[in-house]
Amino acid sequence: MDLIRKTNIDFVTKRNTFLRVSILLSVLGTLAILLTQISGLGLPKLIEFGIDFTGGTETKVSFANTSIQAEEVRQALSSSKFGNPEIKSYGRPGDFLIRINETQDNASKVSADMVEELNAKFSNGGKNAVQLLGANNVGAKISSELAEDAAISLIAATLIILLYIAFRFEWAYGVSAIIALAHDVTMAFIISVLFNKLGILNLEISINSIAAYLTILGYSINDKVVVFDRIRENREKYRGMPLAELVNHSLNETLSRTIITGVSVLGALLVMVFLGGDVLEGFAFTMFVGIVVGTYSSIYVASAFLIWYTERVKHKNVGSVASTQA
Amino acid sequence: MLIFAPIAAAAILLWPTYGYSSLTAERGDLAADTSLKGRIALAKWDSTHAEDMASARAGRLKLGLDLRGGTYLTLEVDVLKLIESSADPQAIDDVFKSVIDETRKATDNSDRDVLATFLENFRGKGKSLINYFQATPLTEEAVENKLRRDADEAVEQAQIVLSQRINKYNVSEVSIQKQGTRRLVIEMPDEQDTLQMRKLLSQTARLEFKRVMMDASMIKAMYGIDQAVRNLRLGVAATVVDTTAKDTASVAADTTMKDTSKVAADTSKKGPQDPYKGLSDAEKIRRIKADFPFTYMVFGSVAANEESQPQSFDLVGLKINNFKPEDLPKDGIFSFRIPAEKVDEFVSVLNDPRVRESMPASLDILLSATGNTTQKGAKPDFFEVYGVSREADLVGDVIQDAYPSFDNTNKPVVSMSMNDEGSEEWSKITGANIGKRIAIVLDDRVWSAPTVQNKIANGSSQISGAFSPEDATRLAVVLKAGALKAPVKIIEERVIGPSLGEDSINRGLTSSAISFALIIVFMLAYYSVGGAIADVALVMNGLLVVAGLAAFGGTLTLPGIAALILSTAMAVDANILIFERMREEMYAGKTLKTAVEQGFNRAWSAILDSNLTNIIGAIPLMIWGSGPIKGFAITLLVGAVVTLFTAVVVTRAMFQLIIMSGATTLNIGQKRTV
Repeated sequence: MDLIRKTNIDFVTKRNTFLRVSILLSVLGTLAILLTQISGLGLPKLIEFGIDFTGGTETKVSFANTSIQAEEVRQALSSSKFGNPEIKSYGRPGDFLIRINETQDNASKVSADMVEELNAKFSNGGKNAVQLLGANNVGAKISSELAEDAAISLIAATLIILLYIAFRFEWAYGVSAIIALAHDVTMAFIISVLFNKLGILNLEISINSIAAYLTILGYSINDKVVVFDRIRENREKYRGMPLAELVNHSLNETLSRTIITGVSVLGALLVMVFLGGDVLEGFAFTMFVGIVVGTYSSIYVASAFLIWYTERVKHKNVGSVASTQA
Repeated sequence: MLIFAPIAAAAILLWPTYGYSSLTAERGDLAADTSLKGRIALAKWDSTHAEDMASARAGRLKLGLDLRGGTYLTLEVDVLKLIESSADPQAIDDVFKSVIDETRKATDNSDRDVLATFLENFRGKGKSLINYFQATPLTEEAVENKLRRDADEAVEQAQIVLSQRINKYNVSEVSIQKQGTRRLVIEMPDEQDTLQMRKLLSQTARLEFKRVMMDASMIKAMYGIDQAVRNLRLGVAATVVDTTAKDTASVAADTTMKDTSKVAADTSKKGPQDPYKGLSDAEKIRRIKADFPFTYMVFGSVAANEESQPQSFDLVGLKINNFKPEDLPKDGIFSFRIPAEKVDEFVSVLNDPRVRESMPASLDILLSATGNTTQKGAKPDFFEVYGVSREADLVGDVIQDAYPSFDNTNKPVVSMSMNDEGSEEWSKITGANIGKRIAIVLDDRVWSAPTVQNKIANGSSQISGAFSPEDATRLAVVLKAGALKAPVKIIEERVIGPSLGEDSINRGLTSSAISFALIIVFMLAYYSVGGAIADVALVMNGLLVVAGLAAFGGTLTLPGIAALILSTAMAVDANILIFERMREEMYAGKTLKTAVEQGFNRAWSAILDSNLTNIIGAIPLMIWGSGPIKGFAITLLVGAVVTLFTAVVVTRAMFQLIIMSGATTLNIGQKRTV
């Protein structure tokens, strides 16, 4: 089979429009989401952090009776010593996540008590109306450390990638790649936050979802390197060709590879979104979004920025040369 | 060669993983039968497969708790509680309490140094530490140093106490690791009862001094245990068959009874002679195990006095040869030991309350806490068996301090001091036991059994022996467990119920398998023969990554799966890059040989750079990332390295084989007509 033969699509003429819109979207989207996090404004918070980053106690229970609603669970627990727990349905019907945003000294006890309480209220004589699926208890100290570690390692990884690409290619390539990576992660983040808010999937920010974002980074950088590699090669081959044309030629040459790789990986991820279960589905979804965005950004963010940046620097250089001559 | 070597390597590395899962499945089938018969079958299976299980477990790919269920705990030493509890209870006043409260508020949610914050708050009150704490010499500085030392040692102490306790309860596969200077991470797989585990964690350590009672009467007591176990076994056998078939029951019981009586009769007539003579080795071992269910594990040695050469004996041989325990030197120095692999069996026999009933009321049989090794750094080969008084002569609460030091010949020793009450008792005990040994027992395991040299009047004692400076440090930590309760608090706890673990692993595996199959089929459809070659490389890639993880002792977690997906994607991409290049060359009219060569050469820089970028990016994640991120990074690193190898070396080798076989055209899915 050979579905994508020689193409000659014009990727570069409208590059600046695409670049502007993409960057604007990701910046504005991120800002909008962050605005809702400022408690003073009274907006509904859009980002949902898991207890990995907030600290607290989380109990996952499964009801044998799948028709039980979150409200019933809330009422069953409201009168008791559990404070004001947040109740969220997740996974299959009848599965709930009960969260208390305060650290407990004795979480397994709290969780066990909770299951006992629910069992007492929901089972009519019969036992095991409720089953404990799992419990998490994260102290405030740990949660701030997890957040800190995640931030430090992410920043360090980004910097080292920038340096490596700048070293193997050119500084401009490194900067373009990092801009595109930032775009990919923020876009995937925005879309995940929206889907989470709509309640379609459980996509709260946890230490595991950080791994999904890391995967996006990894895939996206791979995609960018392939395109850059072709540009590097063609630059030798077609000396004197204007950069925009060179980039467009390279993008077309790598297009079949970009699409075939993208499609096969996306297909694999789609299987996981639908069959992966509670644990993998959110994960796979974020990656799916990220890979779509990452493939797009190789063309319209990384390459477009590379042309813009290089031309701007060249202009400046020409300008400075002119001024020294004057 | 290049292709088969890695396959063989992967197979070897993954063999334990396969072995472990099939052994676990086999055991699971047996365990499902909860009838008495089923339980006996299970016990039998456990004893015959113990070694297989252990070796398979050691080499297998570990699954993270998020994938198989279990409990994960992070404990932190509560330094403030430690400060509070080491203060003199009578001296504690409102000022002290307010400093403690202030410090707790300031340090609960932050990473500030607790002791430093406490001292800072304390200084502001204009009081002196020596009003509240004991130290020698009694100066502000000495108190501060002691508090610092206690805080530093507390994690060590908690680790020693907890691991010993967990091991004692036979909960295998629990790992306890130190993290940083203040934390312990405990991981417990499967359906461990979390609440029971908590109880273990919250109990305070019990340090006791007990007189060593090792003489001929201890040997008698051990034969008594044999008898008790034999009786119990006969009882069990009778009940089993009672419920099923009565006739065979009596027959079985009869023959066993007869057998033992015959042995006894034979030896009494003909004098010392091997009753197992003429039996096959296997049969002989079986019979000895049946006749000496406890003592077959124990080996002893005795020396008439300290100067004479100790003589070894085994308890079974002693009995067979009709030696009376009384015939051994009366004041001889005895020692007993059991092989390390028998520890579980030994402890489970001794833990049976019915067996304990049969023992002399004053005697307790305990094992040494740490095993002995013949080689340095190796796993312990055997454990010492001690006979000690059942009642403690002195309880460890009286210890005020213990620290390692050196004596005047520069040998490592442990110094220990006691409070007034303890010193008084200690002087009585040591006075009455000069020349005898006193065991230091922590939670029923003997850490040391020094011989009393003289009466110790003021409580400050020195323990010397053939130990290294590290041993001395550890013994000091153990001794302090009597005085300091090393308070730990749980700061992170994750419980993944077995059903959630099972569900996530099933769905995760199924969906991953389908995804992988999808890619395989797609490659085959799109690239034809080339796709088949790529598929071989991909399968090998997957195997090698998993094998690599198993070899480095890595743990497969959810983030690890994400990395696995990414590394598969990169491996697919590498092959696609190569094939697309080859097609370009073929369309340009190149021969197969050139097209293949050019395809690889041109694609190489892209493959190298993209994988190297990921490898380099993974390194900071490995260094600074916490648990799950680290797991992701390690898998990604292994994946990228393997991809570089399989995509370029393996795929290329296969292409070259095809070219060498004389092919001039190859279907990699390109259009026939150009």
